[in-house]
Amino acid sequence: MGRYILRRLGFYLIAAWASLTLNFIIPRLAPGDPAAAMFARFEGKVAPEAMGALKAAFGFTDAPLYAQYFTYLKHLVQGDLGMSYAYFPARVTEVIGTGLMWTVGLAGVAVIISFVVGSFLGVLAAWNRGGWLDSGLAPALAFLGAFPYFWLAMLALYLFGFVLGWFPLRHAYGHDMEPGLSFAFAADVARHAVLPASSIVVATLGGWMLGMRNTMVATLGTDSIRLAHARGLPPRQVMLRYAARNALLPNVTSFGMAVGFVLSGSLLTEIVFSYPGTGYLLILAVRNQDYPLMQGLFLVITLAVLAANFAVDLLCLWLDPRTRAHA
Amino acid sequence: MRFARALLPLALLVACSSEPRPRPPGVLFVSVEQQSAWVRNFNPLFAGAGARWPTRAGVYECMEIFSSAQGKWVPWLATGHAWSEDQRTLRFTLRDGVLWSDGKPFSADDVVFTFGLLKQHPALDAGGVWRFLTDVKAEGQGTVAFTFSRVYLPGFSDLAHQIIVPRHVWKDVADPVTFTNPEPVATGPFTQVTLFRNQVYELGRNPHYWQPGKPAVSALRFLAFPTNDQANMALVEGEVDWAGNFVPAVDRTFVSRDPAHHARWFPLYGSTVFLYPNTTRPPLDDVRVRKALSMALDRDRLVEVAMYGYTRPADATALNDAYTGWKDPQVAKDAWTHHDLDAANKLLDEAGLTRGADGMRRLKDGQPFALDLEVVSGWSDWVRAGQVVGRDLRKLGIGVTLKTYEFGTWFTRLQRGEFQLAISWSLDGPTPYNFYKWLLSPRTVRPVGEVAAANWHRMGDAQADELLVRFERAGTLEEQHALMSQVQQRFSATAPAIPLFPNPSWGESNSLRFTGFPTEQNPYARLAPHAEPDSLLVLTELTPRER
Repeated sequence: MGRYILRRLGFYLIAAWASLTLNFIIPRLAPGDPAAAMFARFEGKVAPEAMGALKAAFGFTDAPLYAQYFTYLKHLVQGDLGMSYAYFPARVTEVIGTGLMWTVGLAGVAVIISFVVGSFLGVLAAWNRGGWLDSGLAPALAFLGAFPYFWLAMLALYLFGFVLGWFPLRHAYGHDMEPGLSFAFAADVARHAVLPASSIVVATLGGWMLGMRNTMVATLGTDSIRLAHARGLPPRQVMLRYAARNALLPNVTSFGMAVGFVLSGSLLTEIVFSYPGTGYLLILAVRNQDYPLMQGLFLVITLAVLAANFAVDLLCLWLDPRTRAHA
Repeated sequence: MRFARALLPLALLVACSSEPRPRPPGVLFVSVEQQSAWVRNFNPLFAGAGARWPTRAGVYECMEIFSSAQGKWVPWLATGHAWSEDQRTLRFTLRDGVLWSDGKPFSADDVVFTFGLLKQHPALDAGGVWRFLTDVKAEGQGTVAFTFSRVYLPGFSDLAHQIIVPRHVWKDVADPVTFTNPEPVATGPFTQVTLFRNQVYELGRNPHYWQPGKPAVSALRFLAFPTNDQANMALVEGEVDWAGNFVPAVDRTFVSRDPAHHARWFPLYGSTVFLYPNTTRPPLDDVRVRKALSMALDRDRLVEVAMYGYTRPADATALNDAYTGWKDPQVAKDAWTHHDLDAANKLLDEAGLTRGADGMRRLKDGQPFALDLEVVSGWSDWVRAGQVVGRDLRKLGIGVTLKTYEFGTWFTRLQRGEFQLAISWSLDGPTPYNFYKWLLSPRTVRPVGEVAAANWHRMGDAQADELLVRFERAGTLEEQHALMSQVQQRFSATAPAIPLFPNPSWGESNSLRFTGFPTEQNPYARLAPHAEPDSLLVLTELTPRER
């Protein structure tokens, strides 16, 4: 089992290296000249003579690619992600730092809620097949999930924020709040998170529920469940410990991938609700061809996805005895 | 179900604590920059980069301010200036009794030091002043003398508008280009960073401001709005007192909600928006073809459809309203910016671009005359303008394909001359000198493939350039106006680029809590907060209604 974990770890290290390398190559293959885009934002405020000096200040070099690649790796190891072009002269780590916590908090909580609640609803739907949960809620959620996501978010914002005034329209907390470990601040953060978080949950709940329901239905038809019933175990125990635990595997595997969504996919939520996360930074980085910022964000996303998948691997090991047998 | 039952009371509990938040009296809420989270940067020297508004006109100050709304220079850190007899030396007289926000006196040394930084770090020399300067020196505490390498009168505005930083602070800064200046020491009305968080920051008053009793506003507060929609919603709700947003149907959505206090003023002081033809590509090198394209355009419909009627069609001088005094009324009447399909067709016939059997025009080599028109994806006003232009040109038998690009790609193609038609802005300054120089001077033409800061259409006119060089030396206003009239004639004769409409300078105010915003009736400055350095004039003029 130890060897299995080590082998998985080795695989993730290679995957991390490959994605770092892609991360380096892809923006350099893209069309457009970042120096020109940089210049663009000055809209004539900078004399052409200052351009050369500017390029030097931003660290644009004509060094061969392999040399740039080694510099890139060296700086990565040192935790230096360079200077953002768009937020010059702020450092990339500093810029990402302004948003990372909020994105992880908001989208992380939303995805976990959606996964837990969705999977649980799926179990219930399969257990009471044909009931209102199964024939009513599941299609309704699938329908909601099919809507363009930003449209749902804007609808929520308009209805519950603007018209009814129940929830704040923007930001992670009120601008007159003193951030800190107080109950008032926590309540304010929670109040600000309700709309963006619930719009993510509503949009993704259906997927978890359907996935869980379908595997669960298949699991319920197996001999082991019939055996459990025959042994006279309480139905709740059969449902949760026998059927749900086995049916959970595919959903857990998808969960690892959904973590990528946590960091990049919450972009639209953040735009609609002015939530101060990394999503908006990513758009801005792409628009300005801010390579360092893009690379920094992709790095964070990649590492998070890899880490989550590793965690999922470990979880599967615990959930599924067959994995253990192979290891 | 059980989950929903548990969530509902929680949601209600959380929702019930929602009430309008009281806003501290005297604190002006401003919306200028669109950001999702603030990065602390108050470096005023690195132009255009990520410094927080109003670093360059509010925290720091310059020597004199050109108010385009008034059309005149307002003395600021300098009380005045004088040229030497030979127009090779310019002396600024500095204001007495100005203190930096840390209480140390402001003097000529600070000005000399600041210009020294620009010389040492060309990346900071946004105006390129060291192209025409040879020396800057202090003559006592209160006078600074600038020596020019040649007679170049337009250089005055670059010097007068240069931000001045304190020598006693910046002499210890290791690299002024990458310095984020988190605790600014400055001469402006608002210098104290009293609050800085990722979604809000606040600037308090300079305790030593040189204008007694000013500013009357006790602090400026900035909330982060990443999109126009969010910023507009805050404006409509009255959460923001001063803004510079593009608001669709502004009179209905904003002004009419509280006509007594909500106001907008969109004077046509922005740059002129052009349809740029790439003149290195035949047949766009033919002035008849360019004029034909221009005459095919129904600009009345263009400004209605693309710009909500906020602007007017451009005339043949292409000048916006900030240059009304410079405009030659005769040139303005020239016909090539008027909608006239027959005349346009005649010009194309003359240019040898005959119509084929399918009604489409052919080039001389028989190829169909088809052009790609490039705009920035997501800039909805320009995308709509591009659609109208495309439809109008197709009536001439010219095939037009509208192509949208991400901003960076679009601008790279524009700057390198790798486009056929593109919609873009123009450059300007206190006089139309820069505007026409970038449209007409051979000195600004770069080869295709090389980045050009402007003159993207790549055309120069030697006669116009001679007039512009004479303008650089023209001492009297009459002489300047006479020369500028001739430049306008050259522009109209050569039609290097096709003017569409002057861009409005967006500004909205809510006078419920503050009075003194500039208006059309009291145009002491532009209302647009991004119109630096006009914002200094506004920030020192506003007065809270409550204390």
